Amino acid sequence: MLLELKNVTIPTFDQKCLIVNDVSFGVKEKSIHAVIGPNGSGKSTLAYSIMGLSTYKISKGKIFFDGQDITDLNVTERAKLGITLAWQEPARIDGLSVLKYLSLGMRDKTNIKEQAIEALKTVNMKPEKYLDRFIDESLSGGERKRIELAATIAMRPRLIILDEPTAGLDLIVIEDFLNIFNKIRALDMTILLITHREDIGMIADYGTLLWGGDDILTDNFAEVMLRYCAKAGLKAYCKRTLFQGDNACFGEDYIDKIFQEEQSK
Amino acid sequence: MSKTEYPEEILQSLEGYDIDINDFIPGHGKGAKMLLDFNSIKGIEEIEGVIIKGKEIADGIIADVIIKEGVVIEDPVHLCFGVKKQSGTQRIFPRIIAEDNSEVTIQAHCSFPNADGLVHKMFGHFYVGKNCKFTYNETHYHGEKSGALVAPVSYMYIGENSIFENTFNLTQGTPGQVKILLDIYAMENSVIRSNVKAFGKSMGDSIRIRDSVFLEGRNARSVIKMKAAAKDGGEVLMYGITEGNAPRCNGHVECNEIVLGKGSICRARPFIRAIDPTSTVSHEASLGRFPQKWLDEVQSKGLTEEEATQILIEAMLGEK
Repeated sequence: MLLELKNVTIPTFDQKCLIVNDVSFGVKEKSIHAVIGPNGSGKSTLAYSIMGLSTYKISKGKIFFDGQDITDLNVTERAKLGITLAWQEPARIDGLSVLKYLSLGMRDKTNIKEQAIEALKTVNMKPEKYLDRFIDESLSGGERKRIELAATIAMRPRLIILDEPTAGLDLIVIEDFLNIFNKIRALDMTILLITHREDIGMIADYGTLLWGGDDILTDNFAEVMLRYCAKAGLKAYCKRTLFQGDNACFGEDYIDKIFQEEQSK
Repeated sequence: MSKTEYPEEILQSLEGYDIDINDFIPGHGKGAKMLLDFNSIKGIEEIEGVIIKGKEIADGIIADVIIKEGVVIEDPVHLCFGVKKQSGTQRIFPRIIAEDNSEVTIQAHCSFPNADGLVHKMFGHFYVGKNCKFTYNETHYHGEKSGALVAPVSYMYIGENSIFENTFNLTQGTPGQVKILLDIYAMENSVIRSNVKAFGKSMGDSIRIRDSVFLEGRNARSVIKMKAAAKDGGEVLMYGITEGNAPRCNGHVECNEIVLGKGSICRARPFIRAIDPTSTVSHEASLGRFPQKWLDEVQSKGLTEEEATQILIEAMLGEK
C-alpha cells in the first residue's frame, strides 16, 4: 500500500466531538481510490488530515506513506515526500502568476517554463493564454481548478489528493475532468479522490465509504457505491441509472440483497 | 549627454523594479525625460507635445512638465530624481499639467542608492484637464542603510471625464523614514485608481502614507489599494481616506498589511466620509498574517511556512 490509515480519529478543533472515528483503509500505488459519503461524513477533514494541515490533527491512530509513519510530519514534510492536495476551492492570490504558482512544487528547477507548459497541456489549457496571468479573481472557477490540478501535476508527486475536484463545475466539463484524471494515472501517480458524486467516483478502482465519520466499507468501487446507495435508500436510482448499460456489474438479485441488508440494520 | 555622464549607480537601482534603464539614458529611448543628480539637472529631453523645463534653486529643483492639449504619448515621460551622494537635502517642486484630451504616462523614479542621512522632500502639484488619461508611476529606492528621510507631498486635480492611475512603489531596499501625503480631487465622471505598496524591513524603517481622494464631482469614482509588509522591527502606517462629496459618487479603500517578526508594526486607518445621500463609500482592511488557507496551499507544494510567506509577500507587493 502506498498510503495506509490505521484507526485514524480526528476530533473537532475544540476536541469536543469526533469528525472522523477510527477509520482504517489502504490506497494501492498507481490506483484511483475514491472516498465517498454524504455531506458532513468527514471526507474533506480526512483529506486535510492526510495532507498534514495543522488545524486537522488526528487524536488517535497512525498514517503511513510507503511504509513510513508520517503521523507527526507537517504539511511541508509530507509534500516533500510526494503527497499533495488539489483544493476544492483554491485560493485567488493577486500578483501570483500561473507560471510562478506551477513552479512552486517542481523538484527540477531547470526548464521551469517547459514543465509548466506540459502541466497546462495535461489539464487541457492553452499555455500561451494562461502562463502570464495571475491566479486571481479574473479566472473562472473551472480555470482555477484546472490550474490547481496542473500545479499538483507539475510537482510529480506520488499521491495526489483531489478534494471534490468537480464541485461547482458545469456538467459539460465533467467528462473532460475524468479524462484528466486518467492522464494523471498514466503518469504513474496515485489519486485519492474525495467526492460525493457517484458519477465521478465511477472512474475509481477502489473506494471507501464514510458515513457519519465511520468507515463502512473499503472494496472495489462498484461494491462501495452499491452500499452507499443502499444506506441512502436510493434503490430506483441505483437500478435505473447507476448500474445500467456498461456499468451493469451487478444482477438485480444482488442489489436487492444489499438493500435488504441495510434496511434490516 | 551620454550614459557615462549619468551616475551608473542610480541607473542600476532602477533594475530592481523591472524598468528598462535604457529608457532613462539621454539620447536613448523614445520618451521625453528629465534627469537629476542631487540638485543638478543632468539632462532634459523634450518631444513634440511635451514641454519640460527645470530650474536649479537652493537645495532643490523646480520641474515643470506640460502635456499639450490633445497630445497622446505612447512612451512614458521619465523623471529621474536620483541622488548619488550619501547625505544632504534635495527639494523637488514638480508642477505637472496635462491639458484637455491628452494621454500620458509619467514614470518617476526616486533613487538614492547610498542614502545615509539624506533628506528628500517633494511638493508636487498636478493638474489633469478634461477627458485625459493620466498615469503616474513613482518608484523609490533608498539604498540598504535605512538612511533616507523622504517626505513627498502632492496635490492632484483630476478634471471631468478623466482617468487617473497612480502607482507608488517602495518595496526594494530599506526605506528609512518615509512620510507621504497625497490629496486627489476628483471632478465629475472622473475615475481614480491609486495603488500604494511599501515594505519596511528593519527597525530603521518607518513608513507613513496618507492617500486621500475627495470625490467632488457627480459620478466620480475611486479605488485606493494600499498593500504593505513590515518585518524585523519595521513599521508601516497607512491612512486611506475617501470623501464622497457629490451625487452618485462611489469610492472604496482597501488596505492589506502583513506583519513579520517580533517588533514589527502594521497599522491601517481607513477614514471614509459621505455627505451626499446618493454617494457610496466603503472600506476593508486586513492586518497580520496571510490567511492560513493560502499558506496551507503553498506549503502543500513543499514549501516551508517562511518560504510560503515570502512568495505571498512578493506576489502582494509585486502585483501589477
